[in-house]
Amino acid sequence: MKAYLKNAATAGIIFGIITTFLFLINFIGTAADLIGDITKSRPGSSILGLSAVMFNQLIFLGLIGIWAGARGSRKDSRLEDTWKHVLIGGALAGAVHGLIAGSLAFLVGSLNTAGVKINEYLSQILPEVIRIFLLNKTPLQGALFYLVFMTLMGMLGGLFGRGVLRSTWRKNIGARRKELWNSLTHHEKVLKIRANPLTRYVVYGLLLLFVFLMPLQIGQYWNYTVGTIGIYVLLGLGLNIVVGMAGLLDLGYVAFFAIGAYSVALLTAPTPHNLQWSFWLVLPIGIILASLTGILLGIPVLRMRGDYLAIVTLGFGEIIRILSKSVLLTPFSGGPKGVFNVGAPTLFGKPFNSDVNFVWLITLGCLLVIFVTNRLQNSRVGRAWEAMREDETVAQAMGINTLTHKLMAFAIGAAFAGLGGILFASRNQFTGPEDHSLMVSINVLSLVIVGGMGSIPGVIAGAFVLKGLPEILRQLENYRVLFFGVLLVVMMVIRPEGLIPGSRQKLELQHTDKSQAPPDTADASEGSSPS
Amino acid sequence: MGIHNAVKNIKSISAYQVIQFVIGALFIGYILWRLNEILRVNPIYGPDTWMRFAIAGLILGSVYALIAIGYTLVYGILFMINFAHGEIMMIGAFGGYFVFEALNAIPTPTAADPELTFLSAQPVISVLLAFIVGMSVSALSGYFLEKIAYRPLRSAPRLVPLISAIGASIFLQNAGQLLFGAQRRDYLNPEVLTRGNGWEFPVGEGTVILPYTGALTFVLSFLILIGLFTLVQRTRLGRAMRAVAENKPVAALMGVDVDGVISRTFIISGAMAGAAGVMWGIHLGLVYYFVGFIPGIKAFTAAVLGGIGNIPGAMLGGFFLGIVEAIGPPILGLSFQLKDVIAFGILVLVLIFRPTGIMGEVLTEEKV
Repeated sequence: MKAYLKNAATAGIIFGIITTFLFLINFIGTAADLIGDITKSRPGSSILGLSAVMFNQLIFLGLIGIWAGARGSRKDSRLEDTWKHVLIGGALAGAVHGLIAGSLAFLVGSLNTAGVKINEYLSQILPEVIRIFLLNKTPLQGALFYLVFMTLMGMLGGLFGRGVLRSTWRKNIGARRKELWNSLTHHEKVLKIRANPLTRYVVYGLLLLFVFLMPLQIGQYWNYTVGTIGIYVLLGLGLNIVVGMAGLLDLGYVAFFAIGAYSVALLTAPTPHNLQWSFWLVLPIGIILASLTGILLGIPVLRMRGDYLAIVTLGFGEIIRILSKSVLLTPFSGGPKGVFNVGAPTLFGKPFNSDVNFVWLITLGCLLVIFVTNRLQNSRVGRAWEAMREDETVAQAMGINTLTHKLMAFAIGAAFAGLGGILFASRNQFTGPEDHSLMVSINVLSLVIVGGMGSIPGVIAGAFVLKGLPEILRQLENYRVLFFGVLLVVMMVIRPEGLIPGSRQKLELQHTDKSQAPPDTADASEGSSPS
Repeated sequence: MGIHNAVKNIKSISAYQVIQFVIGALFIGYILWRLNEILRVNPIYGPDTWMRFAIAGLILGSVYALIAIGYTLVYGILFMINFAHGEIMMIGAFGGYFVFEALNAIPTPTAADPELTFLSAQPVISVLLAFIVGMSVSALSGYFLEKIAYRPLRSAPRLVPLISAIGASIFLQNAGQLLFGAQRRDYLNPEVLTRGNGWEFPVGEGTVILPYTGALTFVLSFLILIGLFTLVQRTRLGRAMRAVAENKPVAALMGVDVDGVISRTFIISGAMAGAAGVMWGIHLGLVYYFVGFIPGIKAFTAAVLGGIGNIPGAMLGGFFLGIVEAIGPPILGLSFQLKDVIAFGILVLVLIFRPTGIMGEVLTEEKV
């Protein structure tokens, strides 16, 4: 068998499995709804004799089919990139893909007509979903349709790969764009403006003004969302110190968040203790408590390296959560129900508790934390952390006391998390055990890694991507966590340094030095992504 | 000379070691006091209850042992925690569940019982089939897990594969939830293996039941453990695995296919997790997408207890953890709600006091 045919068949099988999986979790139907929302097609209307939902579903499946074809017809280094090879490769990949999708359609279709209740076992596969997948046809017709459809799409994908992704004109445009950009950024006037310190202050001032005015305009729902994103920025920056700078993988980060939240809840709420202290008094107490817990946990745990630390901190986070909802501590912590009516801050005698106020408060917290992190990163301590992360033994040999520095990282990270917890509980006026599940730690870890470990803009970008995007794409809510998992693996495989990497991570994690590679080869690798 | 050395030794003891010793002594003292309290002064449970706890603990421990071996095998070879191992177990449990459901749909009516299904008519074949399917599904997912999520990261810094493993774990868990729904499903057993049925024998004033499902779990896992031990110690593949664990470049020079051996290690550990998953379903009767997570972490605890990378250690650690979980809460005077806390507490304590585990294989600093 020729190499390019084998490559095509493999791509077909991989994409067949992906399509099957997407169908089984009903992602295909959700994507069709999303496309319908974007194109504003009315659900009742019909296009080419198909209802709008079916047509949108075919658009989505067609895109997958084109991708399969493009991947299946990848250029073989031993062969010429001829149109014939591309067409045959794309068609074969599409045919294999269509065969798998078709058999799936035939199988579920005939099971459905035989009266088997598939959704009892595969919860997403309702009869309606099957009907739409089969385009109102019989199982056999549907299967044949997908075989033909996917083959065509595969051929189209092959042409697309050869004609667009690997074409010379695309490379030329890419090179010209780069040239233009370089001439623009290296222009004398631009350099002069960039060198002027005033520019920076103006940009920061405009950003600040925007952040200050935005909450007044966007309404309650978006204020809530922006507030959540802000709290995750806080948490992310804290974890960034622990994971990104000091290189300690902490999976129990939520424990410090919980301690912050519970300290404000128990000290200001009417039940269970009726202390009703002022928010501003509790704020420092909560932060100090969280960072003390960080130190207490750190002393025994930080002697371990890497993986053990991850599991122990994970265990610790779970212990805090289980304890907070156990019967043992219910009189103290409010038990599984949680604590209600958590106090909000007051400012000069006025209540300071509307959504807008909290967005300001959270933004202020973020700015403070960004400032502290920035100063730390460029300080002696920050450099010691990064040295420790790269090689602990060498750092020790350089005279860095690794234990105190690790403790410091833990304590500062925990303090930020405590602040996040306090703001979170106070804004929601509630906190309970389910607010502090492992998922919070995972979310924060994901956003730090996706954004870029050790990089402040990276963490902020990560928080917006991972917490903000799901709010915009509400249909995809169910698939959010699944997507996080995929994202973590994919990021680690293709871009471990994150979206906006810190300068040192970039050097460490990029195995090949891209600056030395000729510019056109760097461009050509874009079309293919490793699976 | 001797006195001089002793003085030197005292000087080299740090404050940390003193604190360690004091905490350890206090902990052991508390356990002894509690034991005295509940066994002699104020016996709350009779011997039959203790026996019941011990049986439950041993059965659970045998499942933990099976999962723990998977962690230990992978850690021994790649020095990474296969975080998604618990999810591989979940996949196996679902495999067995679907086999039972499918076999239950085949009617084999007899004159005595017109509603008899294949599942209850042929329990031996059914159970065997469930184990075969569960183990193969898990082995397959272990193989692909390694190929997709770990192999491209072989030379990356250590944090990278660990994060990838966490991602894989989240992915598998949520895929399970989206595919099979969030509800807890009852594991349908053959009629012979109805949960709660078992051999009864008198202990003290009461009777203790040794459930059939528990006996099956215990015996099967023991057989699998013996099989694995012989595989690692006696066969060619086992020798290759040990060689790769010792030193990959040298093993490669000796003609061992390192990648192949790593793949096979994942297949073996996946198959064992799958068996554990089917046992979990048969014995405890529940399966849902989150079923593998807590057992996975506990089995990791067991692996650490026995000294990670050490196969007999992982087995012992599993049994130890199972028993501690069953009899720990009454001994410490806590409610059973907190049994997970005890398991995590043990993990933390072991890592603080004896990171090399009970069996005490001394690892180089690089491995720990």
